[in-house]
Amino acid sequence: MTTSTGAVTPAPTVRPARLRDLALLPAIALLVLVGALIDPAFLSRDNIVNVLQQQTELSLLVLAEAIILIAGRFDLSLESTVGLAPALAVGLVIPATADGLGAELPVWTAIPLCLLTGGLIGAFNGMLIVRFRLSAFIVTLGMLIVLRGLQVGLTGGQNLFELPESFLYLGNARWLGLPASIWICGVLFAAGIAVLGYFRHGRSIYAIGGNADAARAAGVRTDRVLWTVFVIGGLLAALAGLLMTGRLGSVAADQGNGMIFTVFAAAVIGGVSMDGGKGTLFGGLCGVLVLGLINNILTLAGVSAQWIQAIYGAIILLALVMARLTSGKAQD
Amino acid sequence: MRLRTTGSGAVALALACSLAACGSGDAPSGGGGSAAGGATAGGGKIAVDLPRADSDFWNSYAKYVPKQAKELGADLMPPTNSQNDVAKLVANVQALVSQGAKAVVMAPQDTGAVANTLRQLADRKIPVVTVDTRPDKGDTFMVVRTDNRLYGSEACKFLGEKLGGKGKVIEFQGSLSSVNGRDRSEAFAECMKTDYPGITVFEEPTEWEGPKAAAALQTRLTQHPDIKGIYMQAGGVFLAPTLQVLKTKGLLAGPDDPEHIFIVSNDGIPQELKAIRDGHIDATLSQPADLYAKYGVYYAKAAIDGKTFAPGPTDHDSTIVDVGGGRLEDQLKAPLVTKDNVDDPGLWGNQVGK
Repeated sequence: MTTSTGAVTPAPTVRPARLRDLALLPAIALLVLVGALIDPAFLSRDNIVNVLQQQTELSLLVLAEAIILIAGRFDLSLESTVGLAPALAVGLVIPATADGLGAELPVWTAIPLCLLTGGLIGAFNGMLIVRFRLSAFIVTLGMLIVLRGLQVGLTGGQNLFELPESFLYLGNARWLGLPASIWICGVLFAAGIAVLGYFRHGRSIYAIGGNADAARAAGVRTDRVLWTVFVIGGLLAALAGLLMTGRLGSVAADQGNGMIFTVFAAAVIGGVSMDGGKGTLFGGLCGVLVLGLINNILTLAGVSAQWIQAIYGAIILLALVMARLTSGKAQD
Repeated sequence: MRLRTTGSGAVALALACSLAACGSGDAPSGGGGSAAGGATAGGGKIAVDLPRADSDFWNSYAKYVPKQAKELGADLMPPTNSQNDVAKLVANVQALVSQGAKAVVMAPQDTGAVANTLRQLADRKIPVVTVDTRPDKGDTFMVVRTDNRLYGSEACKFLGEKLGGKGKVIEFQGSLSSVNGRDRSEAFAECMKTDYPGITVFEEPTEWEGPKAAAALQTRLTQHPDIKGIYMQAGGVFLAPTLQVLKTKGLLAGPDDPEHIFIVSNDGIPQELKAIRDGHIDATLSQPADLYAKYGVYYAKAAIDGKTFAPGPTDHDSTIVDVGGGRLEDQLKAPLVTKDNVDDPGLWGNQVGK
C-alpha cells in the first residue's frame, strides 16, 4: 500500500528500485570473467556483437513483459505474436504458390501489417482484460494457444521461406558497424527507461501496478493506461518477430514457441516483480544479458548436450541468489 | 503400386503369411476394387494419428496418408492430430478406438510415454503400427522407420570425403531425448571417430530449434573461422537459419569456391532440394514421407487381414529386422540426394504442391 504514494511523489520509490537494478552487475562481471578464461574468442568484438544480436528479440519481449508486469498484469501471448504477426503479414504478401494466402498485397505493406497485427492483438487482449475484467493470466494463456493455432491454420503449418527482401532488412542490416536490431533495441530501451522513470504516464504505470484503486483515486486514468500498455506489448512482440524473421531468414511455424518462459526468467532475474509495481526496465535488460552470456559461454565451452539444460538452469538459480545477496532485498 | 506387384513373390517367400491372404492384399491393379470392398465389409477401419501440424515433413506425410490408403484400398478413418503432445495422442487413440478402429497407425514423438497406451491397445487386440519412431516399450505390429543411424553415418562419410579427412565440422544435434536425435548423433560421432579422426566435431545441442542452431553457428564461426563443414540433423528447422547466418557473414560461397562450407542435411524438404540446386548446400538424406504413409497403412491393413511378417529383406528394397523381443522394424532406405540426383521425381520433396 505504500507504493500508492509513488503516483504523487515518484522520487522515494525510485531508490530501492535502483539498487535492484545494479544487483545483477556482479553476476555479469563474473560471467564475463569466466567467459574470457574459457576462450579468448569470448572477448572478441564479433562475439560480443553476436551475443547482443542474438538477444535482441528476447530483449524486446522482456521490455514488453516488464512494462506489463510493472502495471500489475500478465501477457503470456507475446510468444505467439512473435510467430503470428510476421506469418500473417508475409502470408498476405507472397503468392499462394509459396504457401501464401493468395492476397498478394504490395510488398511494402508487409512491415506495417506485421506491426498492425501485433497492435491489434494487444488491443484485443486489453479489451478482454481491461474492459471485461477477465483474468489477465487466463486470457493471455488462451490467446497464446489461439494465436499459435491461427498461425498453423493460416500457413497450413508450413515454414514460410520465400520472403520479400525488405521484410528481412531490419533483422539483417548493419548500421554504423553494428546490427540494426541492436540499435533498435538500444533506442527502445532508452525510451522505455526514460518514460517509466521520469514521465508522468510512465510513473502512473508503477502506481497502477502498486495499487490500482489508489492510482485511480489519485487521478490516473488506469483503464486507458493499461490498454496502452497491452497495445505497446503487442507492437513490441510483433517487432521482435520481424527481427527474428530477418535474422533467421524464414518464418518458422513454431517461431517464438516456448520463449515466454525465458522472458519471465529474464524479467524476474532482473528484479521485475511478478506482483506488479516493482522493478525497472534496466534490470530486465540485465536479466537478458545474463541469459545471453550464459548461453554463449556454454556454447564456447562445448558443454555436452546431455548436461547443458541442467547447467543452464543451475546458473540461472545461481544468478538469482547472487542478485539476492548483493541487493539485500527480498525477491517477490 | 509398382513396388508391390513386382515384389509380391518375394513377400510370399520371405514372409510367413498364407498365400491366400497375400493374394488378396497384394492384388492392386486388377482386383483392387474388390479387395477393398472385402476389407471394408470385414470392418477393418484403420485409424491414423498425425504427430504434429507445424512441420513441412509431417504435413506432406499427412497429405500422402489418404492418397496411399485409397490406393491400398484401406478403410481410413479421418486422421487425428496429437500436436507433439503425448497426452493428446493418448486421448486421440482412445477416441479412435471407441469409434471402432481395428488398427492404429501412430508416430509417437515421445517414445517412452506411449508404453501404457500400447499395452491397452494390446489388451484389446488392436494392432499398432508406429511410423518414424520406435516406442521404447510395448507391443507393436510393425515399426516403419528409416534407419536413423544410417543418416548419421552417411552424413559423416559425405563430409569426411569432401573435407579429405581433416578440418573442423559443426553438427546441429536434434533433441537427445528423442530416439532419432540420439541415433543420428551417435552414428555420426562413431563414424567420425573411427573413420575420420583428423576431423574436429563441434556438437551443438539445439532441441530441434532453429534459433539455437543459428546462435551456436554464429558463436562457433567467431571462435573458429576455419569451420569447413556443417551437419544439420533436420533441414526443416535448421536450413533457413543456417543459410541466413552464412549469408550475413559473407560465407555463402559456391561449391567450387575454396571458401565453400560443405553442408549435409537430413529430411529432404523442397527448400533443401532448391538449396542443393542453387549450390548453397551439398547433400541431404531424403526422409521418405510417401513411404512412411504407404507402409504405415499397408502394415495396418495387413494386420487386420491377419498377415504376419518375419525378419528379412522385403519387396520394397528395405529390410525387416527384429529389434529385440520379437518386435519387428521395417527399416526403409533414405536416399542421399546431391546435385546429381536432385531432380529425381521419386523424391517426396519434388512432389509437394503437385
